[in-house]
Amino acid sequence: MSGLRDRMNRLRGSGGSEQAVENADVAARVMDEQAAIVQEIEEDIEQLSPKWKELGVGLQTNETGQFLLRKIVYPLHHRHGTHTLAELELVADKLGAFHPGQTQGAMANRIMFLDLETTGLGVGAGNVPFMVGLAYQTDEGIIVEQAVIRHPAEERAMIAYLSEKLSDYAYLATYNGKTFDWPVMQNRFILNGFNRKMWQPLHLDFLHPARSIWRNTLISCKLSHVEEERLGITRHDDVPGSLAPQLYFEFLATGEPMTLEGVFRHNETDMLSLVSLAIRFGHLLGDMEGATFESPDLPEEMVRTGLWLEKMGNYKLPDVLFEGALRSESPAPAALLMLAARDKKAGNWGRAVVLWQKVIIHSSQAYGSFAIEACTELAMYYEHKLKDFKTALQYAREALEHMRSHPLQRRDAKKSAELEALRKRIARLTGKAERHGLL
Amino acid sequence: MNRWTGKAGSLEEWLQHIQQREDIMTNVTHWRTIEPRKAQTVPLPPSLHPALRGALQARGISEIYTHQAGSFQAVREGRHVVTVTPTASGKTLCYNLPVLQSLLDNEEGRALYLFPTKALAQDQVTELQKLADIMEVDIKTHTYDGDTPPTVRTAIRNAGHIVVTNPDMLHSAILPHHTKWVKLFENLKYIVIDEVHAYRGVFGSHVANVLRRLKRISKFYGSNPQFICASATIDNPKEHAERLIGESVALIDNNGAPMGEKHFVFYNPPVVNKQLGIRRSSVLETQKLAGLLLKQGVQTIVFARSRVRVELLLTYLQDMIKDKLDAKTIRGYRGGYLPKLRREIEHGLRTGEIRGVVSTNALELGIDIGQLQACVLNGYPGTVASTWQQSGRAGRRQESSVTFMVASSNPLDQYMIQNPDFFFNRPPERALIHPDNLLILIDHVKCAAYELPFEAGEKFGSESLEDMMEFLVEEKVLHKAGGRWYWMEQSFPAHNISLRSAAQENFVIIDISNGSRVLGEVDRFSAPTLIHEEAIYIHEGVQYQVEKLDYPEKKAYVREVNVDYYTDANMAVELKVLHVDKEREAGELVRQYGEVTVNAKATIFKKIKLRSHENIGSGPIHLPEEELHTSGYWFSFSEEAAARKSKNEMQYALLGIANVLVHIAPLYLMCDPFDIRVVPQVKAVHTQRPTIYFYDRYPGGIGLSERLFDVHDMLIEQAKSVILSCTCQSGCPACVGPIEEVGLLGKQQALDLLNEAGGAQ
Repeated sequence: MSGLRDRMNRLRGSGGSEQAVENADVAARVMDEQAAIVQEIEEDIEQLSPKWKELGVGLQTNETGQFLLRKIVYPLHHRHGTHTLAELELVADKLGAFHPGQTQGAMANRIMFLDLETTGLGVGAGNVPFMVGLAYQTDEGIIVEQAVIRHPAEERAMIAYLSEKLSDYAYLATYNGKTFDWPVMQNRFILNGFNRKMWQPLHLDFLHPARSIWRNTLISCKLSHVEEERLGITRHDDVPGSLAPQLYFEFLATGEPMTLEGVFRHNETDMLSLVSLAIRFGHLLGDMEGATFESPDLPEEMVRTGLWLEKMGNYKLPDVLFEGALRSESPAPAALLMLAARDKKAGNWGRAVVLWQKVIIHSSQAYGSFAIEACTELAMYYEHKLKDFKTALQYAREALEHMRSHPLQRRDAKKSAELEALRKRIARLTGKAERHGLL
Repeated sequence: MNRWTGKAGSLEEWLQHIQQREDIMTNVTHWRTIEPRKAQTVPLPPSLHPALRGALQARGISEIYTHQAGSFQAVREGRHVVTVTPTASGKTLCYNLPVLQSLLDNEEGRALYLFPTKALAQDQVTELQKLADIMEVDIKTHTYDGDTPPTVRTAIRNAGHIVVTNPDMLHSAILPHHTKWVKLFENLKYIVIDEVHAYRGVFGSHVANVLRRLKRISKFYGSNPQFICASATIDNPKEHAERLIGESVALIDNNGAPMGEKHFVFYNPPVVNKQLGIRRSSVLETQKLAGLLLKQGVQTIVFARSRVRVELLLTYLQDMIKDKLDAKTIRGYRGGYLPKLRREIEHGLRTGEIRGVVSTNALELGIDIGQLQACVLNGYPGTVASTWQQSGRAGRRQESSVTFMVASSNPLDQYMIQNPDFFFNRPPERALIHPDNLLILIDHVKCAAYELPFEAGEKFGSESLEDMMEFLVEEKVLHKAGGRWYWMEQSFPAHNISLRSAAQENFVIIDISNGSRVLGEVDRFSAPTLIHEEAIYIHEGVQYQVEKLDYPEKKAYVREVNVDYYTDANMAVELKVLHVDKEREAGELVRQYGEVTVNAKATIFKKIKLRSHENIGSGPIHLPEEELHTSGYWFSFSEEAAARKSKNEMQYALLGIANVLVHIAPLYLMCDPFDIRVVPQVKAVHTQRPTIYFYDRYPGGIGLSERLFDVHDMLIEQAKSVILSCTCQSGCPACVGPIEEVGLLGKQQALDLLNEAGGAQ
């Protein structure tokens, strides 16, 4: 065996014989340690070490083998940040909007929440979920279950357990689960010889609405950031998810259960935050009926929330949000333009015009580009809708004025194309105005 | 000859005219006419599916060639197959017939096609789609490569009957994500590998391991696919295919395709300086011959050995015909051209709008450009196999065709041009691979473990699985549990392993004269002498000076300069023999094969004035020593032989022999001349005698030295004959090297010594 290591070292051109001897020593030590750990784990299988019990972890046995399971019951009156878990029951059916036309109602006890801790990145066949976090509602409250494998050979038993458990639920709620957690789970079903199509849930991936709403108003849409900024959740001594693989490898090398303590805690909070997110989106989709939290008052967030709700088929709350954005003391030109674009498309010209005019007023020098867009839109509106060529020309010239006062913006190709288009517009409008004897 | 236009009525007539021209015929060393060959066909096999029969008949095919029938038959019998065919002999039907037949019988079946390049894959899909359309059946063929849009990838994974891809894509995208390809792997019936001769050396050794992984994954999904391989003419198609796929194969080599009469003309540019053995430039002679053909209106392909030469010849030729033809009718073709442009050129060649093309060996592979009438080779393409492939680009089934091979002054070219029988009588080279090279093997064992845990008792290559597993457990990438080894690492192993790079890490050369752009690459072992700090690096005729060499990051930053000197670095090479595996003694000569380590350290560099070659300065090089552990073959002369010459004479003799051998070694290997190194030592540490070493320039070796050990006698005989037949007086670049290098008596010294070294007596 050490022969192969020596040959590899020679081929890689690393080090001479001294290094090889040292490597062999290290290797021998590693092998001894490994053997000891394997023995420890084997004993563990007979009788779970007290340290696991300290963590609240129990042994789970089925026909396929063994793995570990940690189970925590949160009563429904438990408050996680802004929301109380009992709220899930109030709003769960509203989440049905994610899958219009589905007969399966989204009742609180039909949703399975899922979050994985894996050994690597990506969705390749070699990425193993060593911890699978689940949360679901029962009469007792919200149950968080964390399945853990002490070594990869226990995976099959864990997957067998999960495949049973999951199939009772109609909905799967995750954060980025469409691209990560769920494909990884499907890999594991296949690799362990289970039918990958056995469970085909309706997926609620909360990353997508989170991005729609918070893209610009939060610096990141990571779950830990969203929960802190919008769900009133503060984590203490959290182990970031990116460290989880390292900690698991350390656990594999030492067999020490406490290594995973931080990962258990991190995943547990993730599970509750997922439930909170479901409650938050449920409230929004339910027009805030019975909601006790303050709705956001940033104009951009209000507009984005309204736009997302409209996309989901809700039309009542968006109006309130849009009006709120319009009335805001400190309207953000970007948000106003977004709303104006929506109004233009919906044929709501009255408000669109008010919005564009507001943009011009609130567009400071530094954000001149918003004013350019608003002026251009108004010029189009007056030209095509009202046939008022004189006013249209005024707006077009104002747009040009804004563009000129920002010489730096004229550099790139896109800007110069815009400038060119504007010049053409002015020429055309001048012609039209002259023909109508307006100039 | 039409006396008004000066044009010949046919190629035959033009050739007769050329044979009258003294200025050309004095340089022709050999003119071989290869008789036309009639088609050998058999009726369509009775077992052929009626739809397929109908489709073939609709395309005017009522009989198939013997080799197509042979392949169909062998595949139907369930055997793995390799077919060997020259260019344009209906090779694709050899695998498309059995595959389509099977898909017609069972639409759940799947096939995977592997081509070495993307362009070949494209051609194939068009061809298959045409057949499916005629049959009006829903057989879906798709390419799956880096250019496939993400939106259609899912559809291809689930519904593509035939997936056409390349080994790199299989290695880094398909196998690591095999769970997305369940449909394909569960129903995989055939794996088609075209151009198997392209998978040789390091690349081939990697591909063989990718195929081991493919078989392993197929087995997991319960399929046991059959391999159908196709190869150009090489010496060992059966052996090569068997090593590549790890299964025994049936060889189909009864080529039944017809061929028109073929003229093969060897052309040696005239000597312009007899003393120094300098000949007229092969580029200018190539231009002359290609120009004559193009002016006759003969559609012509010119092959050149480097990208620079392609551009050079293209410029000359376009200039030369500019008053007769539109410059657009003569085009270049090489790597670095965008795919869209390449497709346009291929199309132009097929329709005949493009009358001439100058190409690197990029057009040697089976891209469909139709059949041209004339081919001019600028220099011997390096291997007999490539020469036939390139020449095969000219050659129609009915009419005559001609190939001119214009020799350059390098020794191998000169040998070939003066020994036509050698070229025509010997089999083409052997394709060599060494899939069990430990470094390559371990790389793929990692990938395989990522894809699927290893179980005790499995086999992967010739190395003991347990040993490899234990090693990787110590490296902390695998974890053993319950009798299996699992990948337990955050990384994605396939990302760090490239199938195509020879030495694992190349140095990138970045030009910072104007912003920053990548100029090129240099392999790890050449870096210390070529791109040390202050070195003058020449790229496409432009001088650059290395300003900074970031050794750990493997980057060299260069800036364009205009100076009147170049630099030459001294390399101290130390060669140690670790283990002798084979040994033969004959007369005064001992030859051995085994494991060696090579330590190379660049010491100083000299600045040498252009033209006058004066030494005008020097400087030290501070770079770490490079160590290469590989396999080598060496032969050493007896002490008596050593005693007959002074140390200086021996030095020159060995150097002269080494210079010849490095050029003719590729005669026996299908490899790049840079893959093998020759080092002469007057008193070698291992043997204490005058010795010449060869070693593979890849860690662990890829089988090149071993092959040379086996053909030693022929190698020496060839070296002698190169030196004897060279017309120079006392050494030139075409044989032992210039007299500045080997001294005035170098040629004779080398010959004397060779006479003691074996070969035919």
